Amino acid sequence: MRDLSQLYDFEKLLEEANNDLVREAMAKGHHPVGSVCSLIPEPLLNLPGCFSVRLRAPRTGSIDIGTYYMSSLLCECCRAVLERAVEGGYQFLDCIIAPDACSQMNRCVENIEHLKCIEKEGFFVSYCDVPMKSDETALRHYVRQMQTHVLAPLHDKLGVDTSDESLRKAVAQHNQLCNLLQEISAYRKEENPRITGYEFAVLCTASYCCPKEPLIEKLALVAEELRTREPDRKPTFRVKVVVAGSEIDDPALIGLMEETGARVVADRFCFGSLPERMPIALNDTEDVLTQICRHYLEIGKCPRYMNAEKVLERQDYVHRLVQEYHADGVIYQQMKFCDYWGYERAYASRNMREKYDVPTLSIDRPYVTGSSGQLRTRFQAFVESLEIKKLHNGEG
Amino acid sequence: MRYFGGCDAGSTYTKCVIIDENSKIVASVTNRSRINPVLSAQAALDEAIVQVEGLRTAQELAYLVGTGYGRNKVPFADENISEISCHAMGVHMANPDVRAVIDIGGQDVKGIAIDTDGTVLNFAMNDKCAAGTGRFFESMANAFELSLEEFSKLSLKAKNVIPITAQCTVFAESEVVSLVGEGKPMEEIAAGIQLSVAKRCFVMAKKAGATDHIALTGGCAKNEGLKQAIEKVLKIKVVDLPVDPQLMGALGAAEYARRKGNV
Repeated sequence: MRDLSQLYDFEKLLEEANNDLVREAMAKGHHPVGSVCSLIPEPLLNLPGCFSVRLRAPRTGSIDIGTYYMSSLLCECCRAVLERAVEGGYQFLDCIIAPDACSQMNRCVENIEHLKCIEKEGFFVSYCDVPMKSDETALRHYVRQMQTHVLAPLHDKLGVDTSDESLRKAVAQHNQLCNLLQEISAYRKEENPRITGYEFAVLCTASYCCPKEPLIEKLALVAEELRTREPDRKPTFRVKVVVAGSEIDDPALIGLMEETGARVVADRFCFGSLPERMPIALNDTEDVLTQICRHYLEIGKCPRYMNAEKVLERQDYVHRLVQEYHADGVIYQQMKFCDYWGYERAYASRNMREKYDVPTLSIDRPYVTGSSGQLRTRFQAFVESLEIKKLHNGEG
Repeated sequence: MRYFGGCDAGSTYTKCVIIDENSKIVASVTNRSRINPVLSAQAALDEAIVQVEGLRTAQELAYLVGTGYGRNKVPFADENISEISCHAMGVHMANPDVRAVIDIGGQDVKGIAIDTDGTVLNFAMNDKCAAGTGRFFESMANAFELSLEEFSKLSLKAKNVIPITAQCTVFAESEVVSLVGEGKPMEEIAAGIQLSVAKRCFVMAKKAGATDHIALTGGCAKNEGLKQAIEKVLKIKVVDLPVDPQLMGALGAAEYARRKGNV
């Protein structure tokens, strides 16, 4: 396949939090809002006049300072984000909005605040509670929290217009982004997909880290190019896999999987597109904020939702992705010391094998995977076992 | 006659096996790995080829498969296959009745469940640190000022076991030095070391679905003391393989080469 002409630009956007699009938006007077979790509805952070930047720590080296403040027993992602904050990587932010969803990430943000890592004048942090269940009571609580701890500070401290009209504009823009990513994502269902998992991961990760308006323009160009892109005549992959689990904010991990012969066709992880990049449907009868919150509560696949229906629904969802995207197996991966995914991965990967009869690789991993030889061996052995199963089943 | 090669470029040793069309081993080499896996693999291939009449260069092999951590660096390889798949196939070739393997390599420990056709059913890997790996044993043998072979037999004489509490290779070495300094019997300390590694293997073996018997592969499979400790901890029989267990990865790679090269 010919390289995507926009890919290099997207990869550049992922090299640092304060990327070209962020700087351009700030030059226009828009406020950058740091975000650390998908449980804060993205449109609320992308109202006219502000935009969200999901915090990552690309090219992380040592995380010794983060470990000093947070201990070696907490998630490496949280420690790496704190390390990057200490290094000064998020100095451009006007605020961070953090839900009390993952207590480890919350400790990270508290440390960022306590250590005064961000010295920008007027910088503030707002914490909010998000539900652990998905029902009407939880929804009411969720709406109140978003009103009080997200919209109110954005309005009062940054002067952002938080009216219903403004919310509708943000949702329209969000949907535009989601529709483009959905269109691109659909190519991954093809027998010989015209887009690789790595390429899609680059596009999708960038969609969390950049102001939406210029990114939509860039994504539209990619979508246009893909409409006529021809895949290699002979597939360059040996098996197709769904990747599920905790956050993957570095597409290099997907690249590593694909180097061993896998093609990642579906991404059910934090920073992925399924189901986070589903458009939000709004009606005219209910208030907009409630509708947005309901959408996030309903589609939410975070293992923080601990009610039994949600737990089983998440496994069903991954199984549906296996079928819909014609995958041969699932890779459940979990960031080391991630509490939620620790339980989820153990339970779901067992059920995936025993209940759904789907071959599954279950791994924990460090935040920085780079060119890990150990992970490469695991992925390759899994690909080989799937390939042999296909041959035995006469599909090879 | 056509010949097929398997080259296992491991972190500590590089192994090469050449087989004929009937899967008979016609050449084998085990060399200490150099820092550059290309040079290690090249040297092992050259030495193996010399052993086969009628073969002059690696390019004359009908098919060559690379495996091990340096698998993608093996010169002239037609393909690379993970060491997990190759160890399973190698053991299957050596003894088709074996269904579970513990591979103790230079830098990791793997448990592998094997299907009836030699393919991998399931696997588990411990690669978080060097504890329990070949490097660990080298470090311990150094602390005792013994060769690996001498060290592997030392624990067989032990009447008691002195437990080693440190899991880390570096700290375990310090602990061993302290125990020796205290005048504790060397064979009992060695038995403690073997026991600590055997316990590490327990988890891998269970994950690989070991029931009544298991095979050990990798250089550490030649360690008699470890073999006995594993039998004691796991309460299952460790099967002796008819081929050098250190060659299993290379043998499996060669067998894959034979199957792919014959298509």
